[in-house]
Amino acid sequence: MGFAEADLDGQVGRAFPGGTYTVHPWRAWLLADTVLAQPPSVRSAGEQVAHPLFAWMAATGAMGITWDELFSWFGATAADGPVFGEHETTLHRPLRVGAAYRVTGGIVSAERKVGRRTGVFDVVGYSMDLHDESDGAHVATCWNSIVFPRRDA
Amino acid sequence: MTTAVEVGTELPGYEVPSVSAEKMKTMAALLSDPTAIHWDVETLQALGMGDRPVNQGPLNMGYVMNAVTDWAGGPDRLRRLRVRFLGNVLAGHHLRVRGTVTAVREEEGARVADCDVVLEVVDGDAVVSGTATVVLS
Repeated sequence: MGFAEADLDGQVGRAFPGGTYTVHPWRAWLLADTVLAQPPSVRSAGEQVAHPLFAWMAATGAMGITWDELFSWFGATAADGPVFGEHETTLHRPLRVGAAYRVTGGIVSAERKVGRRTGVFDVVGYSMDLHDESDGAHVATCWNSIVFPRRDA
Repeated sequence: MTTAVEVGTELPGYEVPSVSAEKMKTMAALLSDPTAIHWDVETLQALGMGDRPVNQGPLNMGYVMNAVTDWAGGPDRLRRLRVRFLGNVLAGHHLRVRGTVTAVREEEGARVADCDVVLEVVDGDAVVSGTATVVLS
């Protein structure tokens, strides 16, 4: 039995457990190297800016549930072929190497659509906020959408 | 660099000459992502997806971040990035980021530039498109 549109609506507003993500110097170095940016020094004692991709890394790394659990909220599994749709990062101040960020957020939208070629699919939006644990400042917001194909709808 | 920025200014070209399968392995570990199409050729072949690992979407997004922040003056310059994922990037692909300034304005006391951005496979299709806002000064 397929995932009903009414069930979809019922997930909007559901909060993630959340968590904390630390931009450890080793993480900052490895991520920058992996994304082909200049890695920050792991020998520096001074303040260094982390790659902005850490907003997404922190948001998804500390939302408090696994991808499989998130898919299950919408009656889906990885085998159903959910895909990333869109993403938006807003940075209110740069992320810092060594800093810890508190992550909160949840499901903000869910909409069923029908495409001429794709058939029925659901677009689910979720958003997370990052707050610096050292001073409580709101430093970033990450909004994303996932597209769930609904071949049986 | 940013002194003569105006609507229509094109960002310097940013290229990834050959997407590395080895970097995908490190990214999978950093993400704790068990999705094997990013690192296991046997899985790719079993799925009929050839033998070239598929780059993680966040890495593609990261190249776009590099392009705009290199131009603007550093990783602390990014204010906003909104992107749509359009297609897959495979190991060995030659990529290019293109960007064009669409507005120069004030935001929260800073001079910022809005840019249209696109990541494309050279001699192929666009794989990421969107907009970025960076602080100029």
